[in-house]
Amino acid sequence: MTVLSSPARTQAAPGAEPVRHRRPSVVPYFLIVPAIAVLVLALGYPLVWQFWTSTQKFGLAQQFGKPPQFVGLANYAQLFTDAQTWAVVGRSIAFCLVNAAITVVIGVLVALLMSAVGTVTRLILQIAMLLAWAMPVIASMTVWIWLFDWHRGIVNWALTQVGLDFTNHNWLEQPLSFYFVATVIVVWMSVPFVAFSVYAGLTQISEEIMEAAALDGATPRQRFFAITMPMIRPVLMIVTLLQVIWDLRVFAQIRMLQDAGAPLSSTDLLGTYIYRLGVGSSDFGMASALSIFVLVLTVALSFFYVMHLLKEDS
Amino acid sequence: MSRRRFRPGKFLASVVAILVSLAWVFPVYWMLNSSLLPNAVLTSTTPRFLPFGGSMANFAAVFDQGTFWPALGMSLAITLTTVAFCLLFAFLAALAISRFRFRGRATFVLAVLFIQMLPAEGLFIAQYKLMSSLNLLNSVIGVAILYVAAVVPFTIWMLRGFVAGVPIELEEAAMVDGLSRTQAFFRITFPLLAPGLVASGVYAFLQAWNEFTVALVILQKEEYRTLPLWLRGFVQASANRATDWGQVMAASTLVAVPVIIFFLIVQGRLTSGLVAGAVKG
Amino acid sequence: MKKMLSAAALVTASALALTGCAPAPAASVPPSQSASATPQNITLWVAGGDTPKELREYLATTYKAKTGGTLTIEEQAWGDLVTKLTTALPDANNTPDVVEVGNTQSPTFTNVGAFSDISDLYAELGGDKLLQSFVEVGKVDGKNFTLPYYFGSRYMFYRKDVYKAAGVEVPKTLDEFNATVKTIAEKNPNKIKDFSGFFIGGQDWRNGISWIFANGGDLAKVDGGQWTSTLSDPNSIKGLTQLQEIQKAASRAPKTAKDESPWLYINDSDVITDADKKVTGKTSLAAATIMAPGWAHWSIGDLKDDKRVWNDEKFGVYPLPGNDGKPAPVFAGGSNIGISATSKNQEGARELMKIIFSHEYQQMLGKNGLGPANSDDVSALGTDEFAQALIASASNSKLTPAAPGWAGVEASGKLEEFFAKVADGGDIAALSKEYDALLTPLLNAK
Repeated sequence: MTVLSSPARTQAAPGAEPVRHRRPSVVPYFLIVPAIAVLVLALGYPLVWQFWTSTQKFGLAQQFGKPPQFVGLANYAQLFTDAQTWAVVGRSIAFCLVNAAITVVIGVLVALLMSAVGTVTRLILQIAMLLAWAMPVIASMTVWIWLFDWHRGIVNWALTQVGLDFTNHNWLEQPLSFYFVATVIVVWMSVPFVAFSVYAGLTQISEEIMEAAALDGATPRQRFFAITMPMIRPVLMIVTLLQVIWDLRVFAQIRMLQDAGAPLSSTDLLGTYIYRLGVGSSDFGMASALSIFVLVLTVALSFFYVMHLLKEDS
Repeated sequence: MSRRRFRPGKFLASVVAILVSLAWVFPVYWMLNSSLLPNAVLTSTTPRFLPFGGSMANFAAVFDQGTFWPALGMSLAITLTTVAFCLLFAFLAALAISRFRFRGRATFVLAVLFIQMLPAEGLFIAQYKLMSSLNLLNSVIGVAILYVAAVVPFTIWMLRGFVAGVPIELEEAAMVDGLSRTQAFFRITFPLLAPGLVASGVYAFLQAWNEFTVALVILQKEEYRTLPLWLRGFVQASANRATDWGQVMAASTLVAVPVIIFFLIVQGRLTSGLVAGAVKG
Repeated sequence: MKKMLSAAALVTASALALTGCAPAPAASVPPSQSASATPQNITLWVAGGDTPKELREYLATTYKAKTGGTLTIEEQAWGDLVTKLTTALPDANNTPDVVEVGNTQSPTFTNVGAFSDISDLYAELGGDKLLQSFVEVGKVDGKNFTLPYYFGSRYMFYRKDVYKAAGVEVPKTLDEFNATVKTIAEKNPNKIKDFSGFFIGGQDWRNGISWIFANGGDLAKVDGGQWTSTLSDPNSIKGLTQLQEIQKAASRAPKTAKDESPWLYINDSDVITDADKKVTGKTSLAAATIMAPGWAHWSIGDLKDDKRVWNDEKFGVYPLPGNDGKPAPVFAGGSNIGISATSKNQEGARELMKIIFSHEYQQMLGKNGLGPANSDDVSALGTDEFAQALIASASNSKLTPAAPGWAGVEASGKLEEFFAKVADGGDIAALSKEYDALLTPLLNAK
């Protein structure tokens, strides 16, 4: 943490030109110390352990005290030459982009709805979103799996009632249909968060500005892109980034859907694949190597985005 | 709000909003409906949409096990600790990066952004070893440390957006009016941050409330189970025998209720006139 | 579970139950010679809710009486057991002292040294009277690390009325069974859409392997410490071919179904009514036969006041028959139990093992419908039809291979995939070769 060790030098640093504070200050360092401390405490050792383990042959025997064998990059080599890895990576990226896009678009639309409708309707919409958001993952997965059950699921029942024969249709059997169900669930779970974050951003926009713009003859569309978008941009960018990060390694939802009876190897995404290598096969060396790879992959996927974010920030 | 004339656009928006509400609330309703019906009805092929002939029997059976209240206590302790520390730490850090320019700022921001890209599924052995060596297994503090670390990076980012969204000119104007910097901050900026704090708080609350992988590994003793572990145990114990869907749904409802109460409390904050008032003033 | 206690079991077990159920009086359980001077407080992990409350209380009181120490019993969910064992067992400060593990999980953990060597206790705890197939999966290099805790077994539940309407009898051999369920599916006497003569999910390998076993095949063999997957062995292929025929002609279960909740399909939902008490429900009956563990019978029966009540007129049970006159070898469910190697309370843990393998406790297991580890106490299961079917099907049951990597094989989901592809009508010869090649390295992984 070079940040902590160099407050004295900041005074001499010409590059760090303070924007608001003409005088360099130690205040910001005090402000970030607690956050850094908790991150280092909670993640420092696990991160180091993960890097180190990814270079070892580390199975259950090693967990029970047998000295691990250093294998260099052998785990990575094995990982990258396995076609299954790339299949999982490809599926995960596709799943992540589709889900993140759908979630953010619907989330923004719902946030706009919230600010467009009257108080009562808005409250109804907000409560509906809150209820969905408040559902514990385990509880909502249980309900959803039940809704899509092949034999007693209400989805099949409803589709059959409107004249399509979906009696005993199995949604989880084919990968595409499995991912469709997974997408419905993930989007349902994620939209409230996006909607509320964006709505919180929208409330910061003062009515005077909007009214002034309207008086000046700006159309709603113009107002949206010229005033609303720039105001909610910071929130929107960060929730988008988060959706990408989360959806790339979506775990609980996929695992529980798999438990409900989907074929594993054609539905595994990165999260469940790491879990299967680690807990399932007790191959912690490989699981760590894959985790590191996922970290690198996420950084790579979001690199330009993060850079853009940083540029905008400064 | 003063104009009362009918606007078709607004009417259409309301209709859409109601439809969206129904779609989103249906699974929740289905959980509630099922929790009131006996298992044998739930396992038939024809759905029953209204809980006629239902009873609180499933809830009674769940409460009879006597394990709900301790788990609720544990969940509340961990979640509130997490939310409090997370908001405090994140708020301070957000102030630092949005109101100050300092050396190492870019590194810090970058680290905060990238740290949450670490997949958690591979970390649990190391986290167990860490907590075991700190003697913090089966403790509120142990889990809370891991939770705060998991949610603080995002919370920093979210709050940074809100702090940056408050024009500094407002503060400066107040200072011109004779307020000190601190006074200006607490009178002007802080109220404007309320929605941001609430949104981040809600986020931290939900993450901590719903998490179960870390809890599973760190809280090994039965009496320290959090609600998700309790519910998971309930679902699994039930699946081992014949799944009693009614009881599982009743248990799920019980886990969701505290969150809904919490939401209803902060709901007012999210929408209060505080915001608009402050901006106008 | 108490309801399972039949009148007959009461008679056989009554004398012992008297001493067993009462809070152990000091006279009947003399303090052990080997108990250490300072009482040890120990922890026992039981898996899932199978061990009833009454038995847990007995263990705690008896342990207290015998050693003066406290026994804490913690229940771990089956689905999370491996995660918890992986983290806690190597940690001397937090390890449970005595642990129940699934019988198929035992080889993986015994092979890495997670359990203490209890060979010296083996004879005292029951010796060769203990269920040998379970003893095997707890053994490494001839030493005992885990021992059987209890066994369960799967047998067939069937609809007497449907069998009768289809004009078929309860089959006496496996070949007859295969033909019978096909006939029922073809005749479909109730004219129900997608009706199964025998409901078996495509991914359901735990029931499906019975056909491999019954034809003399096996999942894997060991030679000089090297395990080889044997799905492509001629006998295995014979069994798989029969299974594929059943999947094609007799079962309408989804290809993705596993072995969960098959009882839903054998029940009628005859009295589903709407708010006005008008019957609106269609029957949910979808199968004439299912294969399930014994406790499934609590979920099978007629719907009375929104509860299932077993009806002898309509429902029956029988063990899956083999072709040699004996019951077919089915997958043996159940658990093993052992002492954590890192436990600091080895003495106390050994005392607890002695209590668990005592005659009294074994009888209590049997009375609660759990197969006792000691063959002397199996009669405690009782004599009703469920106990008979359990004992008969367990008499010839088989376990999955005691390979070090077996837990990894299960976690990989490869068996589910393989059986689903077979059920889907795939080329068995080619598939079994393909999956043998995939499974062999997993079997040997440590």
